[in-house]
Amino acid sequence: MTPNRIALWAAEADIEEDVDLSLAIGNYGQNGHYDDAHIQQPQIDESAFLTMQQHMAQQAAFAQIPDVVKGFIVHFHQAVLENNLAEITVAYESGWNKYTEKFYARTEWPEAEIIAPLVNDDPIFLILYRELYYRHVYSRLQPNIDDRFHSYENSCELFNYLLNSDGPVPLELPEQWLWDIIDEFIYQFQVFCTWRSKVKPKTEDELVMLSEGGPVWSSYSVLNVLYSLIQKSRINEYIVAQQQGKSAEEITEIVGEYGQRPLYRMLGYFSIIGLLRVHVLLGDFTLALKVMDNVELNQKSSFTRVTACHVTTYYYVGFCYMMLRRYSDAIRTFITILNFIMRMRQYHTRSYQYDQISKTADRMYALFAMCNALSPSRLDDNISNIAKERFGEQISKMSRADPDALTAFEELFLYACPKFITANPPPYEDPAAIALILSPPSPSDSPSQGSAPHIDPTHRHLNLFLADVAAMSPVPTLRSFLKLYTSLGAKKLANFLDADEEEMVQELMMMKQSSRSLSRISGNEKGLLDGQSIPTSDLDFVIDENMVHIAESTVGRRYAWWFIKNTERAQRIFDDLKGMPLPAPSKQNRPTLASTATPSGPVATAEPGKRKVAWGSVKAV
Amino acid sequence: MAASWITPPTRTELIEGLVSGVDRYNPSNVSILEDYLYHQIRSEEYDCLANLAILKLYQFNPELYNPDVVINILIKSLTSTPLPDFNLCISLLDERPINSTLDEPDPLPALLPILKNLHNLLYRCRFPAFWQYYNSRELETLRDNYTVECAGFENAIRSVAIRAVKATFTRITFERLGLYLNLEGGSLELYIKELGWIRDSSNGVITVPPNPDNQIEATVVQENIKLPQIAKIIAHSALKV
Repeated sequence: MTPNRIALWAAEADIEEDVDLSLAIGNYGQNGHYDDAHIQQPQIDESAFLTMQQHMAQQAAFAQIPDVVKGFIVHFHQAVLENNLAEITVAYESGWNKYTEKFYARTEWPEAEIIAPLVNDDPIFLILYRELYYRHVYSRLQPNIDDRFHSYENSCELFNYLLNSDGPVPLELPEQWLWDIIDEFIYQFQVFCTWRSKVKPKTEDELVMLSEGGPVWSSYSVLNVLYSLIQKSRINEYIVAQQQGKSAEEITEIVGEYGQRPLYRMLGYFSIIGLLRVHVLLGDFTLALKVMDNVELNQKSSFTRVTACHVTTYYYVGFCYMMLRRYSDAIRTFITILNFIMRMRQYHTRSYQYDQISKTADRMYALFAMCNALSPSRLDDNISNIAKERFGEQISKMSRADPDALTAFEELFLYACPKFITANPPPYEDPAAIALILSPPSPSDSPSQGSAPHIDPTHRHLNLFLADVAAMSPVPTLRSFLKLYTSLGAKKLANFLDADEEEMVQELMMMKQSSRSLSRISGNEKGLLDGQSIPTSDLDFVIDENMVHIAESTVGRRYAWWFIKNTERAQRIFDDLKGMPLPAPSKQNRPTLASTATPSGPVATAEPGKRKVAWGSVKAV
Repeated sequence: MAASWITPPTRTELIEGLVSGVDRYNPSNVSILEDYLYHQIRSEEYDCLANLAILKLYQFNPELYNPDVVINILIKSLTSTPLPDFNLCISLLDERPINSTLDEPDPLPALLPILKNLHNLLYRCRFPAFWQYYNSRELETLRDNYTVECAGFENAIRSVAIRAVKATFTRITFERLGLYLNLEGGSLELYIKELGWIRDSSNGVITVPPNPDNQIEATVVQENIKLPQIAKIIAHSALKV
């Protein structure tokens, strides 16, 4: 409880190697098992015995917790009590992960009830602790049905506390954690829906629990949380007020007692992004973009500080554009964020986030490759080249009239698409219907109604997308012929293609149609759904009765752009150089800084510089 | 173009409130939106987002599901091809349990593949094939029970064809246009006249008025530097002075 506590677990890294884990834990664990095995079940009051046993088990479990972890929890609790953001951040971002790696890589953290004595049964801290506890279960272990239900209950408790206390709660949490709370909430919802939709490998108990589950992880309850956070924080009003350049006082006035607290403001913003994601998962791509109406997609907003959120936003927005056939908007969205990720790469080595971000980036390269095959552009050669490196095989198939083109699209779509969900569970409350699903009478029973094999949402979206792709399949061939001419008779072209002239003319119409797309090119659009029709292809043509006239546009080299970029880069380097400390004092500082930094970097050894900053800021507070 | 799709001028304030607000999730509002759909069907209006709001309510509340409404929404969405409206609607149609609580057999499973075919033909600009399929015996149920109620449906499909023709052709033969519109003789002439297009009396070829899409030009896109792009550099240099 004293400042000394910091030293206890913060400096603990020095002795990391000294602790013999297997010994420390093994003693308790083995003794317990050994005793159990030899105790005969005495014929005493069952329930009293169970309570006692539970109590003993709890005590044993408590005793098993390594002292450093106890110290960590006590310190973590203290930091939360004091709203000490810097300390919470360190505990959250490095402490938790460090001890996870060390003690709980393959098992659960101690249950909240067991560590409760350490934190004076503080209910709020226990909720936060469970939030981390279940997140760990979901990410490292296999959650069972109890975990799934309890993590939902815990999320509800947390949001209840935030939304339904008397006035705004005096809690402060790091932005990253707030994002993770919303992100994890939706992730668990998605995982639950996916798990729930599979009737097959369920035990009797699970079927019973699901039939009585009621609103657990229902779409309505999830949306309710997100909308409530948005409304409570008045985040939309906040964003609009900011865009209108209102003064700080006016904004405070507008957003009210909740919205002026960073906790609520950030939760509100993250909930908008969360809604974007939930709507995409449910297949509602227009509504997904509509909830983003007030959010300006750019790198300047203060909300971009949480990189994971920023990346998520662009991924889902880009995906929506792809499903709206607005391939050029999708391409621009992906290019923006992929460049951002490339620039940010050096600052993000904190493993648990970086892995996720680079996975999402890879999927966006795949989405980019598909959109670029459907609507070729040369907006960013750098991104195109990276996409070619990763998905070269598929790209070459997709860009030709290759018979395998559809397979390549399918492969990339399934790899890169969001994890779609079904809004409603199978009819678990109706045992007869479930029995029918478990053992269908016979496949040839009723070909007229619902004869199609059960289609999961992912394949429903995939099929829609592939139908669009298939419709556009004549385009590459037509394009390659048209490129050779400035004018050409339709009959002659049909002969080249060995096609019926009338059908080919219709294909040309389709090609013309798909070379026009809605796009947010001008930047004056209100909201992400808005846009104007623009030509997206460099090859344009028109049919004059039976003669095809072709015109090709070329893009001149962008010299000025090149000079601007390089001038800016040179200026940045120059500024950095000027901003650096003089050599003499930095020499004196080096050794002391390095000595504190190196041993305290157990996780992120690759980036000692990052650690230095983190610890430096803690000390400063 | 997109603006009138997002907010059609014909949308009332009540509907706007439902489309843009949280009230869209309230199941008791479904009848308002369904009435609005039937209003669209009678008066040749179209509001994609409002119709998607109905499907959203069906998605969350399977007990509200009304197959006739869904079919009408899909029919309406055909008329806005090549916008993705049809796909957007299908995306919201979750798989539903086989024994839905309906009094009559659900007509949607039988009609869905047909509607998908129609959409596919339209999206691929196979207009003659579309009309042939649409008028085939197989589609009698769809025509007699649904599209007949949808005011101006065939003309709305013709508009889809006209949009494609306008973008692709500078001149088009009378016969070809007739095939695309499923019109011939006097009715085709009348249609052309209403469009304001001119038919050459000597050879019967129709001139499509110039529009941005059928005016092609080979250009070299030169970069066009605007002030904001060099603002950073100027600001930086200004500090030096």
